[in-house]
Amino acid sequence: MKKTLNINIGNSIIHLEEDAYETLTVYLNEVKHHFAKNADDFEIVTDIENRIAEMFGEMLSQQQKQVIDIQDVQTVIAQMGSVKDFENSEEQDEIPGNPQQAMPPHDGIKKLFRDTDQAMIAGVCVGLGHYLNIEARWVRLAALLSIFMGGSGILIYLIMWIVIPKAETKSDKMAMRGEEANLRGFMNSHQNPLVKQSRGFLAEFFEFLGNFINGTGKAVLKLLATAIVIFGSFLLLMLIISLAGVFGVWDADVYSYFPFSIINEAYFSKMILAAFVVFMIPILALVLFSIRVAFNGKPVHKTVSFGLLIIWLAGIAVSVFYIAKVTAEFKESAEFAQVKELVPHQTMVLSVDKTRFFTKEDSLNYKIDPINYKGRRILKDGRGPLDQPRNMNLRLEKSENGKMTLSENYSAMGKTFEMALKNAQNIHYDFQQRDSVLNFSSGLELLKKSNYRAQEVQLILYVPVGTRLKINHNLRDYLTGYSYWDCDSNDNQDFSEWMMTENGLECLSEPKDDHSDK
Amino acid sequence: MIAENTQTQMRKGILEYCVLLIISRGEIYASDIIAELKLAKLLVVEGTLYPLLTRLKNNGLLSYNWVESTSGPPRKYYVLTEEGKAILGQLDHTWQELAYAINTSKKGTTMESETQINLTKS
Repeated sequence: MKKTLNINIGNSIIHLEEDAYETLTVYLNEVKHHFAKNADDFEIVTDIENRIAEMFGEMLSQQQKQVIDIQDVQTVIAQMGSVKDFENSEEQDEIPGNPQQAMPPHDGIKKLFRDTDQAMIAGVCVGLGHYLNIEARWVRLAALLSIFMGGSGILIYLIMWIVIPKAETKSDKMAMRGEEANLRGFMNSHQNPLVKQSRGFLAEFFEFLGNFINGTGKAVLKLLATAIVIFGSFLLLMLIISLAGVFGVWDADVYSYFPFSIINEAYFSKMILAAFVVFMIPILALVLFSIRVAFNGKPVHKTVSFGLLIIWLAGIAVSVFYIAKVTAEFKESAEFAQVKELVPHQTMVLSVDKTRFFTKEDSLNYKIDPINYKGRRILKDGRGPLDQPRNMNLRLEKSENGKMTLSENYSAMGKTFEMALKNAQNIHYDFQQRDSVLNFSSGLELLKKSNYRAQEVQLILYVPVGTRLKINHNLRDYLTGYSYWDCDSNDNQDFSEWMMTENGLECLSEPKDDHSDK
Repeated sequence: MIAENTQTQMRKGILEYCVLLIISRGEIYASDIIAELKLAKLLVVEGTLYPLLTRLKNNGLLSYNWVESTSGPPRKYYVLTEEGKAILGQLDHTWQELAYAINTSKKGTTMESETQINLTKS
């Protein structure tokens, strides 16, 4: 069995065996090339092709067969004559009509072609090497050096790439090396490549680029893959450790600290597992894929990858389900206010109560106010990235009735208004007045095991006109409505001094020194 | 090698003449010209003929007509033009001269042949 090709020669369709086709193509290219310098090349070649078609037709009908094989082609070529035969008959042809033919392209005369077979880029250097009879490596070295001379080498190279034709046919290649072209050479080697279709400079350029990326890119890719494997494995390890950590410190109220306290305790373990799966599987997949790229490993078994995908999708589904459930807990908001009357003094000191800056363990250890703190915990002041958002703020307003009052507005979210109100009621905010000193707690205290539901307290302190206020630096982050920084005249003081006037709060530019320490 | 060269040149020289002679006998297809040349043992390969015919055509010695063929594409049938006939006449004359030259050269006559050539020329 042999592969056959259909060709259209001299307007008739001929079936050819593959090797016959190759030989014929080489022959016709050679013929075309030979007559290319003749003004009537097209006509001559057409005549020859027509005649070949006719001979094929005769052969097929005489021998009662369908396909032209290589013997037939060789017979035809023998009858038609090789290019060498043509040359012999025209050697002394010095008819004025064809002056160019006095200089046939072959016979040991070299032509400049690009040698794409031995090319590094486009075969310009090798081609030049053939033409100048220099080893290609010296031409390349010169070309490389010329790049350092202001990069002119690159431009010259590109120009030569465009201008110098590529050695496409065997006869081109022989002319390039200065060998005499003859058909016998082609006949001997059957693996001579089929003549490729001539392509433009751009197509060649992009092919080169593609090959380059394939080569160099592969190395870069492998390096990248190795990095991913190392980094990904590390990440996986961290994930597993943190999962173990989260579950390991279960008793120590993980879920009562801010980012975890959003999630209801009932959902907590499921959600953490789901989140773990959602994050772990893509990283695992990436690592497995990178291992394959970096070390040419086998692809992961289909069942395994399919199973991983299923688990991942399940993880996503579970996560989405619980996220929706938790989100629903923030649907409604509720707020209520509580007003406390304070004893007014001429000068009031406002500060954050630092004594309450304790963790739960600290407060237990120190047994601070055990009755008040039973079943409660102190929230940390929100300053870290994973800490609870600030849930207390303070506004200072002018009192209209001459009394000093503190309005505490508690707000929280919940699934329903009732739940939100309950959440707001569960807020405990600690505020104390000791003579002229007002101590504010830095944050809310929630009942143990209550979730984060955007609990907030907004404090409004109504100050009678004429009252002097000393506001501690540590309160400045909680103040709203005034720019504390504008009144921070002296860095050495812990306080800045303000006065409540008919027009609202005003900064006293010259605070007294003796009040600096309280 | 020299013999080969001379042979080739001798053949080449008369190839055109022979082709014109064959065509002068009437409208003829290229492969039939080749068959005739082969009969005359003059042409080795067909490929040589096509450039020759094209050249002769371009120089105005020949013209051709397309004739439908029963098998395959239409064929070119070549004929001599008036100019071609005139040139063929000149070539005939030259050939006679050459034939005479060769005959004379072979016989070895010297003085007589020269006068005879002069006679034929005038």
